[in-house]
Amino acid sequence: MRQPLSTLFLFFFSFLSLPLSLSLTTPDSDSQAPQDYIHAETDYQEQLHLRPLPRAALLASFSFRSNTTFSEFTSRNFRLFPRSLGQILSYANTRELHLRFNLGRWDAESWGSRPWNGAREGGTGVELWAWLVADSEAEAERKWVVLTNALSGLFCASLNFIDSTRTTRPVMSFRPEGNHNDVDPGKMHLLHGVLPHEVVCTENLTPFLKLLPCKGKAGIASLLDGHKLFDASWQSMAIDVRPICVGEDECVLQIEQTIDMVLDVDRAKRPRENPIPRPLPSHFLPCDTSKPYHSHDTCFPLDHTRNRDWSLTQVFGRPLKGACPLSNPSIPPICLHVPSSRKVFFAGVAAEQENERENIRCYHLSPEEEFNLVLPPPELPDADELDLVVPPTPPPLYAERSFTGYGQERGGVQALLHNPSKAEHVSFIYFETLPWFMRIYLHTLTARLIPNNSTTSPPKDIKVKESVDLIKKINYRPALDRARPSHLELHLTVPPLSTVQLTYTFDKTILRYTEYPPDANRGFDVPAAIITVLPDDSSDPSAPSPDSNLQPRYSLRTTTLLCSLPTPDFSMPYNVIIFTSTAIALAFGGVFNILVRRFVAADEGPVVGIAALKRRLMLRIGGLLKKLGVKA
Amino acid sequence: MHDPITHVKPRAEWALIDMGRPCVPGNVTARVIKHPVAGSASTSKVQRLGAEGCITMTTPQPLWKEPPPEKPADKRRRGFVILSFWLIVVLLGLPIWWQTTTIYRADLPLQEMLDWAEGRACRPVFPLRIAVQAPSLHDHEAQTLVRLTQHALDDLNDFAGHHLRLSLAKQSAPSADLDVVLTVRLLPGDATTAHLDPYEPVLHVTYPPNAIPSASASSSTLATYIASTLREAFAEEQATISYLLSANGSSPSSGEPRPLGQGLAPDVAESLAKRSTRALRYAPTYHLTFSLFTSGSTPSSWDIEKAIEDYMKPVLDVLSPIHNFTIDTQIQLYATPGVQNQVLTKEDLSSFINAAEWPLSPSIGGAPTINFVVFIGNQTIYIPSSSGSESVSSHSWLIPQWGAVYLLPLTSGTAHLPSHELKHPLLTFTSHLLTLTGTPHSGSLPLRLSSLSRIRSADLLLRASSTLGSLARLVVALPSISIPPSVADGVATTLSHLRHACYTLGMPEALYHARVAEAAAERAFFEKSMVGQLYFPDEHKVAVYLPLLGPVAVPLLMGAWNEILGWVRRRGVKGKVE
Repeated sequence: MRQPLSTLFLFFFSFLSLPLSLSLTTPDSDSQAPQDYIHAETDYQEQLHLRPLPRAALLASFSFRSNTTFSEFTSRNFRLFPRSLGQILSYANTRELHLRFNLGRWDAESWGSRPWNGAREGGTGVELWAWLVADSEAEAERKWVVLTNALSGLFCASLNFIDSTRTTRPVMSFRPEGNHNDVDPGKMHLLHGVLPHEVVCTENLTPFLKLLPCKGKAGIASLLDGHKLFDASWQSMAIDVRPICVGEDECVLQIEQTIDMVLDVDRAKRPRENPIPRPLPSHFLPCDTSKPYHSHDTCFPLDHTRNRDWSLTQVFGRPLKGACPLSNPSIPPICLHVPSSRKVFFAGVAAEQENERENIRCYHLSPEEEFNLVLPPPELPDADELDLVVPPTPPPLYAERSFTGYGQERGGVQALLHNPSKAEHVSFIYFETLPWFMRIYLHTLTARLIPNNSTTSPPKDIKVKESVDLIKKINYRPALDRARPSHLELHLTVPPLSTVQLTYTFDKTILRYTEYPPDANRGFDVPAAIITVLPDDSSDPSAPSPDSNLQPRYSLRTTTLLCSLPTPDFSMPYNVIIFTSTAIALAFGGVFNILVRRFVAADEGPVVGIAALKRRLMLRIGGLLKKLGVKA
Repeated sequence: MHDPITHVKPRAEWALIDMGRPCVPGNVTARVIKHPVAGSASTSKVQRLGAEGCITMTTPQPLWKEPPPEKPADKRRRGFVILSFWLIVVLLGLPIWWQTTTIYRADLPLQEMLDWAEGRACRPVFPLRIAVQAPSLHDHEAQTLVRLTQHALDDLNDFAGHHLRLSLAKQSAPSADLDVVLTVRLLPGDATTAHLDPYEPVLHVTYPPNAIPSASASSSTLATYIASTLREAFAEEQATISYLLSANGSSPSSGEPRPLGQGLAPDVAESLAKRSTRALRYAPTYHLTFSLFTSGSTPSSWDIEKAIEDYMKPVLDVLSPIHNFTIDTQIQLYATPGVQNQVLTKEDLSSFINAAEWPLSPSIGGAPTINFVVFIGNQTIYIPSSSGSESVSSHSWLIPQWGAVYLLPLTSGTAHLPSHELKHPLLTFTSHLLTLTGTPHSGSLPLRLSSLSRIRSADLLLRASSTLGSLARLVVALPSISIPPSVADGVATTLSHLRHACYTLGMPEALYHARVAEAAAERAFFEKSMVGQLYFPDEHKVAVYLPLLGPVAVPLLMGAWNEILGWVRRRGVKGKVE
């Protein structure tokens, strides 16, 4: 496949430069304004952004958005909005819904900031948060149970396991995205639940695609294949439902479905018939010639220099079957983010539209024709990686979280929050939901500032500054055993070019026998911490600001943690029964015998022993025989 | 050989001997002879033992000694010890064990429940009142006519549970009385004719002037004619109810003749069976889901709201006293049917709905969903003529207890489906809806609906009764199932509403009572804590109890046994001594 691809395809170089301005909603950090997704004028639109990333990765961001007017929704005439979801929403009085299915880890060090600024992703597993309308908290909880159970059935996920022990009511972290001016704010209840243990897979994708107007049959959704999606290094499926009002017009209910995935191009290009990775023949191996030991028979393989070329059909395993006829024709369905210096070919009837300044190329497709996009290998084989991709923008904050300590009795959590910016302070909300069996000691919560030069100097010399004013605000709701999780929200600020180390310790609880899941030795998943970077101008996030559309600047999730609790031997109940029975029997037997038996001298008692028993038996038999003999 | 006794040292160990061991003299001598090692040097003890009277020792040098006689106080104390152990076990242990392991079972009126299930508690009787209005007749003439018609009706009727009662109505109040099912309006005319009013439950009968029977007449052609017309009007309802009664195995109390399915011809019974399997179970609310499926991308919008308003709403309004309806609609593009054939045979129809891909999940909220699917396609349905009664038209078919499908051929590229295109599908769906709700086929619409409410109340009554019976049998069959108080409450509610329903059968409130009874019975039967009963097999119980009971129960039992044995022996010895 190294021959020039141009000979393989019949290209329609139709450079129709359409007189359209590129005011697109992209998943990139640089072009998204908070209100940007409010496009209420069209009923349905879909768009795919392809963005090659360093290290031979490819970010594909699918977004599907459809609107329905409130009147159509309340009269239950569903056209583009899925009926199954609409019924659930109205039955559970849900105003705004956010559902996330996530898998894998976003490598922020090499891939930069997250798509959609992290707004369309959740922690590993399944995450759900929703604003419900209810008169009281108890009613809101009832509706929440209805909602989770119904969604669980719709998406084939174990969402029904989001019970009160996994549900929190965040105060500072989340903001409604839609307009809720028609509802009394006192009646809006935000509930949030996470299932970190849930494994997202094909059975979740199928119902997701069913919600789309064009299903997976046409439009960009025809590229979505469970095999490729769940083979990705990182993927996130999101469903957002929000009411949106623009001006004086009637409000609409908007559903936005997004799928973001980072494909490893190398792995994705593997043909389906031959999916097992095999070592390459030596003459195909790209070698690092800079190594001193490089010679004709020694090779240090260079990773990620191959496979910087790909085509849509190759990486997604299927062709793109034209545009969805329902989608807004003014929005190009496919956009590719590569430097304008790179060549891109396409096959099929399409109109290319290029914005060189932003390094975006977009393609308008026709509904009937199949479409393919080909990124040929770079002209210079040794080209620097960063020249071949649009350089990723660094995120405003890096975060990682890990366990400290050892043993099965207590442990600790450490979160490292690093601000790479040279000038700006970063102010954010750190939100953690800890399961009730992790009993945290809030007094051990400390935030320490580590200056950024720590990487160069040896660890002993780190000047650790105890810094009290790093934590601006703590919102803590302690756990109740078997009833609710700990809820910890911190408002933190990290100075430029420095790292904050957040630590606390906790105790591990011994669970009841029936509370252990199958495979208890694996450990218990602790949900990801949710970090919401606040816009610069918001000083107090918890104060109800008049501008309800004050959206977070960026949000990210740490990885989930695996907490191992003391695990009992599960034959325990029977052991306990037998052990206590034996103890009781011993005690009882001893006491009873001492009380009841009579003690005499050894020679006064009846003779015991085998010989005596034998004799007694013989006597008995003799007596019997005698009796019989007499009778006979 | 030296004497062994002199060489054996006195032994300091204590030996345990059981109480009440029989001391037989022969036994001891045998031991002394055969086991000399066990003997000891002390002679005084043996003599003391001998003095007790158990063993008479005559040997001058005894080899084995009996223990000293026990003090009576010791014996009594031992008796008390054993007794107190037993008292603790019986008075404290057993009640605690019983209390902690017993399963709560609320008292249920099992016999009454079974009576209902077997039809002994209620004999369904539908007294239908029919008013006769004869404005042009004299009072006594009308009376005679009513009497004769009633006679004729009674002669015709073969089903005791369902009888028509005629009464003469005042002309001023045409239908103020809600209990009146049908009004017969007699008007003079040229010939004897009868027709049902399409909008009101009224039977218009015209009669020629000479048809009025005289006061003394014993029969009249007019009366017979009215009677047979009435009978015809209610024939279907009667057949349905008698079918329901026979299908539910309900029989009136013994001694009565069984007026059930026997009265029905086999083909009538078969068609009724078919109809009742098609109809959905009764529910106060139905969700109607109208779905437009198309295999391509067009049409992507339709005027369904207007079409429903125009073509279906009237029937829904008429049905509203019996059912509520909620409506939702959806459009699904790129839908591939389960069968790709151009000509659909009868077998294809059942698999046409692509259940795996089409989002036709039932609505949430408990009420059953009726699906009406319009599929844009020009497939044709081919059914051999012999069984041609299956399909209503060549475009649509009914899926029992689920809904209906209509194939709508359309030129491709039509982006919008106007409401007039939907007229045929919706009219077809309306007739399907009546079938799915179990409405009878014959008669005028008001009469069909009132008879639907009677059929439904009978159906619900029987269903609730049979649920009660199942619950009673379940409770008897599973002794380890727990019965929470809520089940007992549910059963009580069901029974009281069943009684009310039974008294008011044939009247509108019967439906309400039967509905409540059925809902309560279902709730009681599907009680959550009963459904998830803890299964704890007997082997597990043995495994749990044995380690505890074995080592504890054996010493207790042996102690009691020995004590009783000793007591019996002492009494025997005492008796002999005395």
